[in-house]
Amino acid sequence: MIGKEGSVRLLMGNESVARGAVEAGVGVVIGYPGTPSSEVISTLAPCAEELGIKVEWAVNEKVAFDVAAGAALAGCRCLVTMKSAGLNVAFDSIISVAYGDVNGGLVIYVADDPAVHAGMEEQDSRFFTKVSMLPMIDVFDPQDAKDAVVEAFDYSERFKIPIFVRSTSRVAHMRCGVKFGPVRSSVREVGFQRDIRRFTRASPVWCMEQHTRLNEKVEKMKPHFESSRFNELHMPENNAGVGVIASGVSWNYLHEVVALHNLVELATLRIGTVNPLPEKLIHAFIDKVDRILVLEELEPYVELHVKAMIADAGKNVRVYGKKDGTLRRVGEYNYDVVERALGKLLGTELAERNPELDKIRDEAIKVAPRRPLPFCPGCPHRATYTAMRQALRELGYGEGEAIITGDIGCTILGMHPPFNMCWTEVSMGASIGLACGLRYAGIDKPIIATIGDSTFFHAGIPPTINTAWNDTNIVIAVLDNRITAMTGHQPSPSSGYTATGAETEPIEIERILEASGIKKVRVVDPYDLQHTKEAFIAALKERGPSAVVLRRMCSLVARRRGLLGTPSVVDPERCTACLLCLRTLSCPAMSVSEDGKMVIDPSTCTGCGVCAQICPFDAITAWRQKD
Amino acid sequence: MIKEYNILIASVGGQGGITLARILSNAAQSQGLKVRVGETLGMAQRGGPVQSHVRFGEDVYGPMIPKGRSDVLLSLEPAEALRVVRYIGKRTTTIMNTSPTLPIPVILNEATYPDPARITSILERIGGRVYSIDAVELAREAGSLRSMNVVMLGAYVSLGEPILTLDTIEESLATSLPSRYLEQNIRALKIGLEKMKELISEA
Repeated sequence: MIGKEGSVRLLMGNESVARGAVEAGVGVVIGYPGTPSSEVISTLAPCAEELGIKVEWAVNEKVAFDVAAGAALAGCRCLVTMKSAGLNVAFDSIISVAYGDVNGGLVIYVADDPAVHAGMEEQDSRFFTKVSMLPMIDVFDPQDAKDAVVEAFDYSERFKIPIFVRSTSRVAHMRCGVKFGPVRSSVREVGFQRDIRRFTRASPVWCMEQHTRLNEKVEKMKPHFESSRFNELHMPENNAGVGVIASGVSWNYLHEVVALHNLVELATLRIGTVNPLPEKLIHAFIDKVDRILVLEELEPYVELHVKAMIADAGKNVRVYGKKDGTLRRVGEYNYDVVERALGKLLGTELAERNPELDKIRDEAIKVAPRRPLPFCPGCPHRATYTAMRQALRELGYGEGEAIITGDIGCTILGMHPPFNMCWTEVSMGASIGLACGLRYAGIDKPIIATIGDSTFFHAGIPPTINTAWNDTNIVIAVLDNRITAMTGHQPSPSSGYTATGAETEPIEIERILEASGIKKVRVVDPYDLQHTKEAFIAALKERGPSAVVLRRMCSLVARRRGLLGTPSVVDPERCTACLLCLRTLSCPAMSVSEDGKMVIDPSTCTGCGVCAQICPFDAITAWRQKD
Repeated sequence: MIKEYNILIASVGGQGGITLARILSNAAQSQGLKVRVGETLGMAQRGGPVQSHVRFGEDVYGPMIPKGRSDVLLSLEPAEALRVVRYIGKRTTTIMNTSPTLPIPVILNEATYPDPARITSILERIGGRVYSIDAVELAREAGSLRSMNVVMLGAYVSLGEPILTLDTIEESLATSLPSRYLEQNIRALKIGLEKMKELISEA
C-alpha cells in the first residue's frame, strides 16, 4: 500500500480499493468481513499505523456505517466495506444519512457476487440507488476500482453525499497491473456544528426539506458524472447502426470479443456511473443506432433505463438483453456468453462450434468426483455436531427428528454428510428467530439454533433477548471458535485483539447470554465429547430457553500459532476396520489403508483427539491438545 | 508483442495453486507483459476446488480464460483437471500431478475416483499433449511436500514456452515466497524441470 506515485503493481481489485482510499487521504476504514469484500480491510490493517489511519473490523455493517458516518460528520474521509448481504444490514442508517449532509467524503464499497462464489443471494446492489437516491460507480477492473474510489471521495465531499462504489466477485478478486497515484494527507481539520435541521429527521418538515435537497444534490452531480472517466462512448464513423452498452465486468469481455473478431465498427458505451446515469451519452448513443445489446450481470438495471429513454425519445431501437431472453438474470457472464450475445446482435455466429468436443467435456464433468467442503482437520464444529447428535440419540430422537436451524459462517457446514444436522440458513443471526417461530408453529421436537461467535455478535443478540423475554423453549448453541473463520480469520470480539492486532479483553458470550435473560447457560470444550453431550442433554431437558457455548479455538488458527497437539495414532492391531470413526467424523486427516484399516496422516492431524473418543476398540491413541 | 496466452491452474485448497498463480503472474508482470489473473478465493483454504486463470497479452481483458483457449493446464490434482475441461481445447498442453487428493465421499466409498488412464484419455481427446508427473513424490525428494506446486512450476518451465524465462521465474520465486524456503523451492523447481525434460525426450 505504501508505493510511490507512478509505480505499477499487480493488485487484486480489493487491494486496489484499499490503495484508492489511501491516495484519497482516508482517515477511517471500517467494515464487517464478507467475501468478496474482505481484502480491503485485511490489506490496510497491517499498515494502518504507518499510514496514520484508523482501520477497524466492526461487529456488523450497520455499526461500521454508523461509525464511518460519525467520522464523516466531523470532516474525516471514511470508507466502509461490505458484501451485498451486509448492505441490507447497513441500509437502515444509509438511507437516513443520505438525507443529511456529510462533511468529509464517505464512500461505501459493496461487492456483489454473481454466480454465488461465496454463498448467499445474487443480489444486485445497484438497485439500492433507486431507494436511497445515492450515487454509485460500478467498476470493471482493479485500476478502475482505484480511480473510482479516489474520485468518489472528491465527489462525496463536494456534494456532501455518501457515494457507493460497487464491484462484483470477478472484479474484487481479479489481479492486474495498477498504476499508483499521488497520496494525499489524511490529516484534516475536524469539527462538527450542531444543526438539528440537517442532522436529525425529527420533523416531517425538516425531513421533506432534506429529501428535496438530496434530489437537488443528485441533479447537480449529473453533469459531473456524465463527463467523468467512468463512462466511455465509442462511436466509429463507419458504424452500421449497431451498438453495445456494458456495465461492470462485462466491459472486459466486450473488449476481448471486439479484439478477437476485429469488430472495429461496433459502437460501444461503457456506463460506470449507474446513478445518476449519463443520460446525454445514452441519448447520443441511441440517436445513432437502431439495434443495441445491453451487457450487465444480474438484473436489467441499465436495460430498463435505456428502454425508457428510447420510449421517451420516441425512437425505434431494438434492445437485446434480459427482457428478450438473449441473456440471463442468473449467474455470471464470461467471454463466451458475451460472444454468443454479440453474435445474436450482429446476426452472425461468432463462436466456433464443436459439439463433439462439448460431448467429451460433458462426460469429463460427470466423471469428476464431487468435492464437498468438509470441516477442516481438528475443527471444533465437527466435535460439536457429533456430540449434539449423540445427545439427541440418547434422548430418543432419530435422524431427521430434531430441527437444527443453522446460521452464516463455517457452522453451517454441519448441513453436509456425515452430520446432516443444519436444516436452514437465512441471514446473520436468523437461526435464533427461526427456531422460535418453528416452536410457535407447534413443532414439539427439540429445536436447536447453531450460530458462530462472530455471527452471534453481529446479529444474534437481539433475537436472544427476544427468546428470553418471551420464554421460548429452544436451545441456542454458540459455536465459539474465537474468530471469524469462513471469511479468512478476521478477529471477532471474542478473539482478544482488534483488526490491527491491538490486544483487548475477549468479550465472553456466556455473559451476554446471561445478561440477555437466558438462565441456563453451559460452557463446554467440544473436544470433550462426553461433557459436550451431557451439556446438550441437560439443555434439551430445560423447559424454557437455554444455551450452550462450545468454546474451542479454530484449528487453523491453532495450527498457525503452533498450538496443535500431538497427532493421534491408530494401532493396526486393534483397528477392526469398522471405519466408524471415518463415517462419524469424515476428517480430512483420515484415510483407509490397503487392508481396510484406518490411517491418520500425521501432517494433517491436529491432535484434537475426537476420533479416539469415537473408536469402540480403543485403537486410536490421542494426546489431549494444549489449551 | 504477444496477443493472448493463458495458463490455467486447477488445484484443491491447500495445494498451493494460488501461490503458483502469484509466482507466474509476478514473473509476467516483471517482463512487462499485460497481466490478468482471475480467481475465486471464497473457499480456498477449505479443501475445495480452486481455479486460477493466469493470462498475459495485449488482447487479454477478462479475468477468465475463454472456452477451450488455455495454452497450458497445470493440474495439481488429477481429477481436478476434469472439472476445468471447459477451458481446455486443441491448443492446450496439460501437465498433471498424478497423486490424487481423495474427496471425502470417495474415502467413504460413496463415490468413485476416476482411473488415471481414463483422465488422461479424456484430456487427450479434448486437448493436446498430456504429461503426467508424480509431483508429490518429486516434492518429497526435494525435501518438502509443500513445494509440490513449485515442482509443477519447474515442469512448466521445461515446456520451453517462449514467454516466461527461467530467470524471471526464479526471481519471482524469490520475491513471492518467504526467503527461508527459497533454497528448498529452487531445488523443487530444478527437480520438476529435469523430470519434465526426461518426459519430453522420451516422447
